Amino acid sequence: MTDALRITRGTVYDPANGVDGVVADVCVENGRIVAVVPESARRIDARGMVVMPGGVDIHSHVAGATGNAARRLLPEQHAADAEPAPALTRDGPLARSGAGGTVPTTFTTGYRYAGLGYTTVFDAAVAPLYARSSHAELDETPIVDGGFYVLVGDDAYLWQLIRTGDRPRARQYVAWLLSATGGYALKIVNPGGVEMWKRGHRRRIGLDDPLGSDSVTPRAILDTVCDVADTLRLPHATHIHCNDLGLAGNVATTLATMQALAGRRAHFTHLQFHAYAIGADGRRRSGARELVDYVNQHPEVSADVGQVMFGPATTLTADAAVEYLLYKSSGRKWVNSDIELETGCGIVPHTYREKQAVSALQWVVGLELFLLAADPWRVVLSTDHPNGGSFMAYPELMRLLMDRAYRDDCLKRVNGSLLQGSALADGLSREYTLNEIAIVTRAGPARLLGLTQKGHLGVGADADVTVYTPDDDWSVMFSTPRFVIKGGMVVVEEGQLRRAPAGRRLHVRPDFDRAIEAPLRSFFERHATVSFDNYPIGRLRDAPVATE
Amino acid sequence: MTAERIEPHVTCLGCGCACDDVDLTIRQGRIVDTGRACGLGAAWFGDGSTTAGALIDGRAASLDAALASAAELLRQARHPLVYLAPGLSCEAQRLACALADLCRGALDNVSSSTVFHSVLASQEIGRATATLGEVRNRADTVVLWDVDAARYPRLAERYAIDPIGLDIPDGRRGRRVISVTARAAAWPDADQHVPLTRADEVPTLEVVAALLNGVTSPTGAGQVWAVASALADVLLQGRYVAVLADAEPLAAGAGPLEAPGRAAALWRLSHALNHRTRGAVIALRAGGNRTGAESVMTSQAGYPMAVDFAGGAPRYRPFNGAAAAHLDAAGVDAVLVAGDARALDTELLARIGAVPSGVVGPAASDGPLAKSRVAIDTARAGVHEAGTALRLDDVPLPLRSVLNGPPGASDLLAQLTALIK
Repeated sequence: MTDALRITRGTVYDPANGVDGVVADVCVENGRIVAVVPESARRIDARGMVVMPGGVDIHSHVAGATGNAARRLLPEQHAADAEPAPALTRDGPLARSGAGGTVPTTFTTGYRYAGLGYTTVFDAAVAPLYARSSHAELDETPIVDGGFYVLVGDDAYLWQLIRTGDRPRARQYVAWLLSATGGYALKIVNPGGVEMWKRGHRRRIGLDDPLGSDSVTPRAILDTVCDVADTLRLPHATHIHCNDLGLAGNVATTLATMQALAGRRAHFTHLQFHAYAIGADGRRRSGARELVDYVNQHPEVSADVGQVMFGPATTLTADAAVEYLLYKSSGRKWVNSDIELETGCGIVPHTYREKQAVSALQWVVGLELFLLAADPWRVVLSTDHPNGGSFMAYPELMRLLMDRAYRDDCLKRVNGSLLQGSALADGLSREYTLNEIAIVTRAGPARLLGLTQKGHLGVGADADVTVYTPDDDWSVMFSTPRFVIKGGMVVVEEGQLRRAPAGRRLHVRPDFDRAIEAPLRSFFERHATVSFDNYPIGRLRDAPVATE
Repeated sequence: MTAERIEPHVTCLGCGCACDDVDLTIRQGRIVDTGRACGLGAAWFGDGSTTAGALIDGRAASLDAALASAAELLRQARHPLVYLAPGLSCEAQRLACALADLCRGALDNVSSSTVFHSVLASQEIGRATATLGEVRNRADTVVLWDVDAARYPRLAERYAIDPIGLDIPDGRRGRRVISVTARAAAWPDADQHVPLTRADEVPTLEVVAALLNGVTSPTGAGQVWAVASALADVLLQGRYVAVLADAEPLAAGAGPLEAPGRAAALWRLSHALNHRTRGAVIALRAGGNRTGAESVMTSQAGYPMAVDFAGGAPRYRPFNGAAAAHLDAAGVDAVLVAGDARALDTELLARIGAVPSGVVGPAASDGPLAKSRVAIDTARAGVHEAGTALRLDDVPLPLRSVLNGPPGASDLLAQLTALIK
């Protein structure tokens, strides 16, 4: 089913190639977009339909030991959302049943992403120690191409190198780590805060606070990792979850972090959770405008929003200190897992409610970030699945961005007690166009990820294409694609999932000087509980993405 | 030529600690030395020999005929159970899950027999836990909660008591070690011993947690309060407290299930350790990649044990001793055991033997289900078959093939699936 295919006369949105709602044919052969196909090629009549590249999720939590710990914690959600196996064609892999909820099982995750027209997904936080498990889960998350970012911000060996100021060795170590784990990018979570939580420190930490050594500070961690990402020419900027997630007044921390990295490539993730000001009355307020102003003026900065959607969610993060606070305030069940030498993990189920003041503020802040952002290429869509809500809520989020009347109706229903001075409450008239939606869900994330084959429909791109039937309700349109083509294979036919090929692994393998191995082996022998030689995952089936 | 070779840093599945630093010496196709492995590990590796054959109704058969017979067993069943016994790699466990899904059968693993309450309590309460390396590098206070040292022989040396850690530069001298005992023998090298009666174990856990949660002790409240207060005081002096508790305190087949309320009390304690200090409870597990089975079932089916695909999608059926309960309820009319049937308890084996059954696993033709409808020998994961296993803290480790052996369980389960599909 990867034969030649012509998608005829659809209305094409391909912003990376400047195509904005042009009626055109899209041709596919051997898994790639091509200029022409033979007359005998299969045709999909897309007249009146919307054609876009496959969706690209830059920040999600779908594959790995910590996500699986969340899955294990949610039998009640799975019981309420049992998912029978899809009716796949019999010539392909076995169709698998599963369970949904906010943390679906692996096969169901792949099917559901593809069922929304998404064809590329990244897990945003994997402890290197658990990389093997993340690959195993990605192997069982069909259809979507995927990869993950490795957590390095609180890594004990890296901290030793920061302490001694050995930047060259830090580069070698990180390159080794990416190669050993098959990761795609570098992730920092609450720089320094994860280790401080493990040490029992409960105070907020500032960018220049020493972390057991004068030379190790959150600023030094950010500086080192961003420098390493640049010198290794990684395709994606360092993916940064700032300090103080969720805390009132954290917009100052977020701005200070951005300023600390001014002029350098950096991606600030789930910005919504880091955009709270404090009003004159001492209560939490939106800090979205302040933050967006900075982002708008600094082209080196990119972000994903981490929109909150009303309903059930599962908070799941390496920022384990935050989860402790959420556990204490909510009284819900709580998992904490301290992960040796590398990072931590916390999990608390959560429900965002319209009538709850903080939930409503979070919902508003996210929408403000979207609607005030001048450049959709740099402020892209995420719910930080499953933290702000499930990826299954993306169509609803797209409707909120595209349909002001609907959005205003929703706004009327929310608790407004923390919304004084909110730009959204004051009236934001912007409505995203289809072209802008294609940017924030496809072209933008692909560009930020450095995936030249993804997020567009130019000749040579991966043939990942979604065909939607327009509907008055944008959420209906985006939740039920008519066709989804992945790598040239028609996986959704007439709205039904029919094929579920394995996805490709997206990873990097930067060169490193093998001289790093001797001191690293010595560190492993002293402190690790896994043998140095057993740590690397070995070769992956798919070739790495180039880092030059 | 005396062809002797060393296979370095091999992972041992003798217990859940899964030490991966074992150097095996191999001569003439046999393991002749197991290096750093403990006695349990040496026994687990053995000399690397295993049976290689297949039986149908106890009589020798070709592999193809045996696979066809196993396929027939599953095809004819109205509601088969696929049971993940210990001794499978995660890769084989994944294939066994697929088989249960395909057959719309039940799917279970030993956790429903040995750590049933622990799993359910962790799902209701959550847990604060850590990887073993956190104990090694950070824990200045280590509580062995009713842990029999003989069941985890290298726990002290490699993970918990003796090592010099990043934050424990003085090693053993830098740690306070407390041995709490209700069934197990006292930990040999503890600084402090807290003997409890079995009846007092759960109340003591609950009171320690309450005290750590800030409840104040009433005066003259009795022995449990006195012991718990003293223990809570000690725990609060720790910077990082690791409580290591045997989640499977009695070996399979050797007695009753977990004490009611014990697991829930341990998980509540794990939370309570984190208000005024930091800490974790780590559930120690026996060998054979047991946590792998839970992890794989969770990732594919959403639940770590006791799954039923009968309705075409996974449902949680956590009856106490789930597999046995399924069998008793006459819902299950055939059983395929994947893995090492020798690791199953006698009660479950008896019940499995009462319905048409088969086994695909190491030494199947020489094990307790050899006389069942079909028994197919497989390689032993980690000796003849490569793959992955999870340590008791879910840390994934590679399994190596160090010797030639019969076909691997992954290979055979894939073939079986293809026959049924």
